[in-house]
Amino acid sequence: MTLVSTPSATAPAATSAPVRKRRRSHRRPRVLIAVTGLFFALLYLPIAVVALFSFNSQKSLTVFDGFSLRWYRAFVHDDVLIASLGTSLRISLVAMAGSVLLGVALAVGLVRCRTRLGSLAGLVMLVPLITPEIVTGVASMLLFKGLGVPLSTGTVMLAEITFSISYVTVILRSRVAALNPEVEEAAMDLGATRWQAVRLVTLPALLPAVLASAVLIFALVFDDFVLAYFTTGVDPQPLSVRIYSAIRFGVQPTINAVGTLMLAGSIALIALALFIPRLFGRRGGLDILSGE
Amino acid sequence: MALLRPSRTRRRDTSGNRMWLWFMLPGTLWMTGFLIASLILVAVLAVGTTDELGNPRFGFDLAGVRALADPAYTEVLARSLGYALLTCVICLLIAYPVAYTIALYGGRYKHALIAAIVVPFFANYLVRMYGWSVVLSDDGPVLRALRAVGLADSGTKILNSGFGVVAGLVYGFVVFMIIPLYAALERLDVSLIEAGRDLYGGPIRTFFFVTLPATRQGAAAGLVLVFLPAMGDFVSAQLMGGPDQIMIGNLIQDKFFQGQNWPLGSALTMLLMLVLLIGMLGYLRRTRKDEAEALR
Repeated sequence: MTLVSTPSATAPAATSAPVRKRRRSHRRPRVLIAVTGLFFALLYLPIAVVALFSFNSQKSLTVFDGFSLRWYRAFVHDDVLIASLGTSLRISLVAMAGSVLLGVALAVGLVRCRTRLGSLAGLVMLVPLITPEIVTGVASMLLFKGLGVPLSTGTVMLAEITFSISYVTVILRSRVAALNPEVEEAAMDLGATRWQAVRLVTLPALLPAVLASAVLIFALVFDDFVLAYFTTGVDPQPLSVRIYSAIRFGVQPTINAVGTLMLAGSIALIALALFIPRLFGRRGGLDILSGE
Repeated sequence: MALLRPSRTRRRDTSGNRMWLWFMLPGTLWMTGFLIASLILVAVLAVGTTDELGNPRFGFDLAGVRALADPAYTEVLARSLGYALLTCVICLLIAYPVAYTIALYGGRYKHALIAAIVVPFFANYLVRMYGWSVVLSDDGPVLRALRAVGLADSGTKILNSGFGVVAGLVYGFVVFMIIPLYAALERLDVSLIEAGRDLYGGPIRTFFFVTLPATRQGAAAGLVLVFLPAMGDFVSAQLMGGPDQIMIGNLIQDKFFQGQNWPLGSALTMLLMLVLLIGMLGYLRRTRKDEAEALR
């Protein structure tokens, strides 16, 4: 008894000295914090510059002359850019719907189906994630050309769906794996068919991750440039392709305004995707981005 | 009453498997049809030709592949490899202290700080790159600050040089290094560092003998994740480098859009894939070895 009770009385006094010493040796390292601070400054500086100069009253990108909305007005009255915006929105919506539908089903199937065919499908799904975008862009373009399909907004949609399926599946896969299959089996023991069990038990449980991945895909597709660049035709081109051709030929302040709107929009969407799991009372959401 | 009857499907039956196959089928067919088929097409066209209109025509013609031996192309490939590897090293040097600081000293702001790094990287790549090129321009804030402290003179340039291209690539992809490193450092057992200190290892020795080996898998994953997109990028070289700084991505783009030499473009694409495949295989061998050692 005494052996058990004495440490509680004496231990804190005996150990407090070394603990304090250890703490001191782990004092905040100023150099590391300075490096991290500099990193954050450089990370946000380009974004801040684009945003700031989008409100510049003059054309300059180095001298801020005064606040003005003229470049935003110029954007709103630029029919070509507005048409491109519409194209991008349509592509993102279609790609979001298509890839979520196919990707969620694929994720559920991949986790639950333990056959050789299943593991092969799992490998196919990983290919876009380890292939640089320029390769997939070239490949998609050649496929459409080879099939004799003229490049258009539709071909961009098809290509974007193909590469978004992987993201949806990666995000959803770990969520499906975390679900207890016995809950589905319990539903079936209670008389549900297998399909009813999936529809009434599994899918509702996956809803937060499905919504988060849908928002993420929308943002990614809207911002995508390389794939769209290789697969777009003569229709109003997607906004990022239009921006690309504009910035290649020097400074165009209207692009600052468009760029600022796009940055704000995608940052808001990504933040929303991170936040959605929390809305459903789950610890949120960075794992959405890393697929862990 | 029918509802209460025990389900006839039992736990380990295979009737479910068929339904799961139906779940997988549409997505897998879609991916195979659009992705795998298109990648095969690139390989086929690398040894094919095109007609006057630029439409692919299949055959067996090694002109595209043979053209790769042209020293002009090998030079671009060497430059791309050099820039991509340099980008990897710089990303590692930047990402390690940042990930280390956040993982070990971030406290309750850890997640917020990582989110603050990740979120802008999912925003438009072109706009970020364009903003970065403005920041690094000859009278941009970075060069002005460097000049003010005497680290640069009026002739110093960042844009239109190889340094500009690498700076662009680093800015574009450093997050792919930070995330795996952060994950590895978060898992790191801090008592290992304390043990190193207790055994009279200085901070530097402790770092090289304890921290770095314990997180090398994160670093290896980061190196691959940065190397892949850096090798394929063509925006950075276009916006930040001059015409003499082009990388293999710019060549591919040029062959498909300006040069209209699709077989050569396809051959270059396959060459790029080959280089990346070698990198991937090296990484896989490395991680296998690590795993084998961990199991021993």
